[in-house]
Amino acid sequence: MTESELLQKIKDSPADFSELFNLYYKPVFGYIFRRTGSFDDTADITADTFLKAFKHIRYFSYRGISVKVWLFRIATNEVNMFYRHSRKKNSLFEKLDFENKQQFIQLLDNDKEALEKELQQHEQFLKILNALKTLSTKYQDVISLKYFEGKNNKEIVEILDMKEGTIKSLLSRGLKKLRKKCNHL
Amino acid sequence: MQAKNFEERLEQMTKPEVIKLDHQEMLVKTLLSAKDRSAVSWWWLCIPLYIIAALLMKSFYTHTSFFSNIHQISIHQRSVSLLFFVAVPVIFMIINLFTIRKIYFLSGSPKSISFLLQVWFNVLMVILSLFILIVYF
Repeated sequence: MTESELLQKIKDSPADFSELFNLYYKPVFGYIFRRTGSFDDTADITADTFLKAFKHIRYFSYRGISVKVWLFRIATNEVNMFYRHSRKKNSLFEKLDFENKQQFIQLLDNDKEALEKELQQHEQFLKILNALKTLSTKYQDVISLKYFEGKNNKEIVEILDMKEGTIKSLLSRGLKKLRKKCNHL
Repeated sequence: MQAKNFEERLEQMTKPEVIKLDHQEMLVKTLLSAKDRSAVSWWWLCIPLYIIAALLMKSFYTHTSFFSNIHQISIHQRSVSLLFFVAVPVIFMIINLFTIRKIYFLSGSPKSISFLLQVWFNVLMVILSLFILIVYF
């Protein structure tokens, strides 16, 4: 099934959103995890991203940008919102009505343990991520998409909805700043 | 460290990967059943619109001036009139303008007439709110 067919299917029957969720939850979760380096924040931001996507998918019109790019765009916005208002943020999980909340918390704890172990195995990445987090979010966006996610400039242009020249300039300035920070490590 | 070397270091370093997430299945079921719990309903805007309609009828049948009727309400029911003719429309305008901006972003920044079709209700709410404010002042 193509993306546009899946999109139409979801518009006709919103419950089919689960297909899109299962397809993209892990990539989006991974992207946010590599942005924040925190399991708890990632779980919360990813849930927020998919809840927003679910509520607004009927507005999404297929005009060249893929659903994956659209989800990455929402995720990027959510991460930046999180950094701007992190102290005010309430967990979405507290507001959702789970059938069995205890079981969900248990599953979440299992995933947390596994991913925190995984994160500790990438010491160099952690150092660079901590340095990156001290930069402005506009630099974080382009650097993480380019070097952590392996996206090319065209894909970054689509996700951030910016001109290629702006992306190149942000990358160049951001790398310079990050390199300075990393020299002190 | 040279710029080129630094870029290579970023490209070549290993990154954490997300292979398996046990909570995924349970989360999707819950998200699909999530409901909006907004206390701000467009019905609130119907109250000042209803009062305006009632005052228009009153001025028509009693041959009085509509604006003098509004003026009387603003004197005798000051707090109520401020709530329904100022606070409610201002809140609605702000909420709807933010909603239009959010829908624009979430629908992938469309540049066509289809976006207007998506937000026509919000635009209508902004116009009605403006109308109430203009009538009151």
